[in-house]
Amino acid sequence: MTDSPAARRRHWQEAGDLLLVYRETMGRPPRLGDAPGAALAAGPQRALYLAVDAEGRVTAFNGHVDLGTGIRTALAQIVAEELDVPLARVAMELGSTATAPDQGGTIASETIQIAAVPLRQAAATARRHLIEAASRRLNRGTGELAVAAGIVRVAGEPDRAVAYGDLVRGERTELTLDPEAPVKPVADYTLVGQPVPRVDIPAKAVGAFTYVHDVRVPGMVHGRVVRPPVPGVETALGTLLLGVDEASVAHVPGLVAVVTRGDFVGVVAEREENAAEAARALRVTWRPGTTLPDLNRPEAALRDNPATARTLLDRGDVERALGHAEARLDRTYVWPYQMHGSIGPSCAVAEFRDGDLVVWSGTQNPHVLRSDLATLLDLPEDRIAIERHEAAGCYGRNCADDVAADAALLARAVGRPVRVQLTREQEHAWEPKGAAQVMDVRGGLDAEGGPAAYDFETRYPSNGAPTLALILTGKAAAAPATYPMGDRTAVPPYAFGNARVTVHDMPPIARASWMRGVSALPNTFAHESYIDELATAAGIDPIEYRLRYLPDPRAADLVRAVAERAAWVPHTRPGTHGGSGDVLYGRGFAYAVYVHGPFPGKAAAWAAWVADVAVNRVTGEVAVTRVVVGQDSGLMINPDGVRHQIHGNVIQSTSRVLKEAVGFDATGVTSREWGSYPILAFPQVPEIDVLMVPRPHDPPLGAGESASVPSAAAITNALFDATGIRFRELPLTADAVRAALNPPRIAGPDDRPRRRRRGFLAGLFGAGAGALALATTLLPWRPTYPSIERPDPSAYSAATIAQGRLVAAAGACLVCHAGPDGRSFAGGRGLETPFGTVYASNITPDVGTGIGGWSYPAFARAMREGVSRDGHHLYPAHPYPSFAGIAERDLQALYAYLMAQSPVAASAPETVLRFPFNLRPLMADWNALFLRPVATADPARGPDWNRGAYLVEALGHCGACHSPRNALGAERRGAAHLAGGFADGWEAPALTALSRSPLPWTEDDLFAYLRTGRSTRHGSAAGPMADVVASLSPLPDADIRAMAVYLASLAGAAPAPRPVAAAATAPPAGSAALFRGACAACHEGGAGGDLVPLGLVTSIHSAHPDNLIQAVLNGVAAAAERFPAPDPAAPPAAMPAFRDTLTDRQVADVVAYTRARYAPDAPAWSELEAAVARVRGLRPHAGG
Amino acid sequence: MQDEGGPTVHDARLAPARHRLHVNGRGVSVEAAPGTRLLYVLRNDLALNGPKYGCGLGQCGSCTVLVDGRALRSCAIPLRAAVGRRITTLEGLAEGGRLHPVQEAFIAENAAQCGYCLNGMIMTTVALLAANPDPSEAEIREGLQANLCRCGTHVEILRAVRAAAAGMRGTAHASAAARGSATVRGSAA
Repeated sequence: MTDSPAARRRHWQEAGDLLLVYRETMGRPPRLGDAPGAALAAGPQRALYLAVDAEGRVTAFNGHVDLGTGIRTALAQIVAEELDVPLARVAMELGSTATAPDQGGTIASETIQIAAVPLRQAAATARRHLIEAASRRLNRGTGELAVAAGIVRVAGEPDRAVAYGDLVRGERTELTLDPEAPVKPVADYTLVGQPVPRVDIPAKAVGAFTYVHDVRVPGMVHGRVVRPPVPGVETALGTLLLGVDEASVAHVPGLVAVVTRGDFVGVVAEREENAAEAARALRVTWRPGTTLPDLNRPEAALRDNPATARTLLDRGDVERALGHAEARLDRTYVWPYQMHGSIGPSCAVAEFRDGDLVVWSGTQNPHVLRSDLATLLDLPEDRIAIERHEAAGCYGRNCADDVAADAALLARAVGRPVRVQLTREQEHAWEPKGAAQVMDVRGGLDAEGGPAAYDFETRYPSNGAPTLALILTGKAAAAPATYPMGDRTAVPPYAFGNARVTVHDMPPIARASWMRGVSALPNTFAHESYIDELATAAGIDPIEYRLRYLPDPRAADLVRAVAERAAWVPHTRPGTHGGSGDVLYGRGFAYAVYVHGPFPGKAAAWAAWVADVAVNRVTGEVAVTRVVVGQDSGLMINPDGVRHQIHGNVIQSTSRVLKEAVGFDATGVTSREWGSYPILAFPQVPEIDVLMVPRPHDPPLGAGESASVPSAAAITNALFDATGIRFRELPLTADAVRAALNPPRIAGPDDRPRRRRRGFLAGLFGAGAGALALATTLLPWRPTYPSIERPDPSAYSAATIAQGRLVAAAGACLVCHAGPDGRSFAGGRGLETPFGTVYASNITPDVGTGIGGWSYPAFARAMREGVSRDGHHLYPAHPYPSFAGIAERDLQALYAYLMAQSPVAASAPETVLRFPFNLRPLMADWNALFLRPVATADPARGPDWNRGAYLVEALGHCGACHSPRNALGAERRGAAHLAGGFADGWEAPALTALSRSPLPWTEDDLFAYLRTGRSTRHGSAAGPMADVVASLSPLPDADIRAMAVYLASLAGAAPAPRPVAAAATAPPAGSAALFRGACAACHEGGAGGDLVPLGLVTSIHSAHPDNLIQAVLNGVAAAAERFPAPDPAAPPAAMPAFRDTLTDRQVADVVAYTRARYAPDAPAWSELEAAVARVRGLRPHAGG
Repeated sequence: MQDEGGPTVHDARLAPARHRLHVNGRGVSVEAAPGTRLLYVLRNDLALNGPKYGCGLGQCGSCTVLVDGRALRSCAIPLRAAVGRRITTLEGLAEGGRLHPVQEAFIAENAAQCGYCLNGMIMTTVALLAANPDPSEAEIREGLQANLCRCGTHVEILRAVRAAAAGMRGTAHASAAARGSATVRGSAA
């Protein structure tokens, strides 16, 4: 990081005191999607592989990169072994285009098997040279010399020695890699094959490691991108952008630029949080994209996808054998879309310096990325350097290259180094998915119970997922290419006499590319499930049946070893492991060799599983309890590393089989966070027993993917053993398994559809308009008070103004009348009412637009009677019926206080209501009907109660929100008074005995809530109520206590509602997992601090879902953000807003689940998805 | 007229202000908007790379820091709410040049593949063991269940947590024993 790539390149090219080994090749490595001859056309290449310096330090270069698999350690072991130097003296430089060779992408478990070969030869070439140099220096034949720890010694003469560094010092020597240079015999290995601690972990465990996310460049600014609303679908990209409204981000501090190019949209700001805010707020209009087929059940979509059939194998006579089969067995297996799910969303930094581009990237394919950037930016490749840094684990292709290109575009646009961080939502949505796959097997048993034929077809819609910016900017066509990658392990390992294997090569539907176990994992799911089905049909133990037809002796050895390790008991029918209670147990086997690369490909390590499962037949939950996994990897460079990879493969593939499927709707990916794409967590991790076959004398084989490949069939075979049911479609979610184990009953009387809730506005106008028509004789207009000069605030005493401040606080004037800065009384906020949006007026003392020209009598009339200075009627959104009860001295003080404020010239938007409410004169009739102050004084009660009643009923006008309104928008009185209402899109719950709060509101609860915004027995104030609490903060404790006393007394004022019989409604499928992934960390795991338990939160028990939906969509601010005097015990965390993350359906599901789980005695809310859409359409409350 | 641009935030909440924080034992001053997530402040203003951005939704745990000793998600904590609290990041666990025993155990067990989740695993374990020095296997798994690892390092992580717990109990026993013997000697004298 300290040296620029150009400086480092120059160092290796020019510095003295170095021994260097270069490799010469014709052309670069071929790439998937290459035009014919493209690789060779690159011409002769000369690349540095190894350098030894005068201190004896070794630097080795490799084009492959460490994806968290530990190859940095394993490659260093290979070099140290071959050169006989301590491991600590070897540094690996991986994947930097300025220095490292182009060895193609880090894919297909090839690093150890393929990319390490020339590295070992380079080390051997260097070693031979050094030994020869030492021979000359020490005057001994090379046969008399031995090397240890980088020092060449004469055998038997310990004093005659020379260090590598001394041999290198003094000149610069360039060698050409000799593939024939003698390599060390494996028998002499002391380091390779030994467990070695990973070299990178100590720095990672203290925060000292520099991931690409941690790269900082002087002058760096922060970028975010805005992707088209077709998440994870490439087909229409490049044609969708209609417009970008830059004014929508004018409020963002430190905004550097909004950049658009084709469909590429990005923002740059000085600070990261402001870039994030700009990306969120930027208003972009897009054309609709293409409509996707149903990819949640992908079988039909894949069968309909245009394809080219490619026959890989045609042996015997399949059709004839099928015709003669004793029993036919035709099966279809379906694999879902899955995602890499890198824990860290992709990130990159790009900088242009003197026209040269440096990109710091977590790419798996540095040289391919460099070519892409050259195309994107019209730059020659030699002006571009990719500095490869580690990123979060990736198991194929994630968005690392995409974000690198994004950063390059933004850096060029703003002329400064730009760091771009993708969001979680973007990474989930846009990462090239592991494709869905459909496998068909036609076959059956012959008369002897053997396989009659095996006619296998597989469909795999995927390609290399071109770097997104190329498509967004129109540099590459959106029409997807087809890569022939569905053929991995498509040929079954069994010696079926009549066999045909056909791959249907097809382009992607959703964006897809390689993911761990590329096509082999699904293909093996079919092969290894099917052979199990054959064994069961033939009445033979599944392992014995396999061994009859498995010709590869090394594979058979592994199968036997794993069966023995697991103490496999041969059996011919399911159910051998029994059960207890509702839980059934089962055990299954599968075997595979992962064949990768262009067909026929190369075999990586062999692997076999015995999986034990437990399944709850009532809930459908499946647990993989234990896995015995065997692997034959040939020579293992670092056995600890191999074991670690096996563990990782077992856990990740178990997760994929049990839990994982990407969700889609017609526009694209809907799984945009961890709740909708749950992965295996610690409690579900199986016990894993690893058997590693020692084969030190066989070549090393890739170990990064193999142990995943048998997973699905081993687990479904175990599930068959447990339940007698074959599962041929994944994942094995509790919902899917429960449905299979408990087939649905025929619809009975309980299944009738639920009654629709009456629409909120239904019937309103019929009753309302009629009532209004009755009375039209009252004075529709009131006289105008003349405008006055703005009163001089100095006419009022400081004490009066201070009193007025408290009145304004108690009246929470600012909650509605706040100006856009959130502080002044300039008005302009829109309040959602059933009759339309009412805009709060400017009540600063500005003469033109505010109330500066209002005399006190005009002000008092407006406050108490709802008539403006000019005589027009105000709407009762202004709570003058409550204010009618304000004491005269308080009203005067309020007038003084408002007149003492700074005038702000600002006109609020015109309020336009729906008919008939748009007829202001009708308000006169309304007032005649409804303007009656609430009688509050009760001499029989104490002074606290009376003070509280005054604050609550008059000044605080709590009823304006908390009382239901009649069809004409008037607060209902009597038993309905404070019985719950709606305000600005939020429910204001009942303050009477009608409260649905699970615990009663005591005086102390009310005091804590009104004072701090939080009651530990009920929850936190949010939405408009949070503003009210903030507004009340200047009031003395005694006033808050008085309000609490009064409100607590209301609890007995109305009869408690009869509890509604709970409908036994199961929460929607998948909602439990959604809640667990999206909410449970904080709401059950304490990761947000001491949250109020959801079971106590009032909104979850309400008759209306609105407040819970508001919280999920728009988040809830932390107490310290919202309340001037927060509860010190309140958690520091805010609830994140899920508006841009979850779909309406997902919010509805999580709300339904929360209700069912935490308010189990309350009836399920109905029409939730529509309610979510409605709340989403409301203007979110400012401040969360 | 609906505002289609999503939640509007008062400009006041975006306006930068000076905040004093207590991070890794030191007082620091940061100029940023009060709603800025603590994670951004730690990484961008204080150049602390331990906490990682993973989801911004409090789901995955990569950004975990200790707040007054509890493992919380810095991606969900507004700057203003961090004022007046003791913040400890991965970089601040070591004491007197010695790594925290949990860090040592994670290194000894090679308990990382890509290591992106490692910060959250270590910080959560530190808080877990502080609250429960002798957790059962089930308690460890439950305590870490909302920390996501995608590479499948769970086996090594669990081993590291067990080793750290055992080691810390051993040290606690040893130091308790040392204190005990000192007391005995003291009273004998």
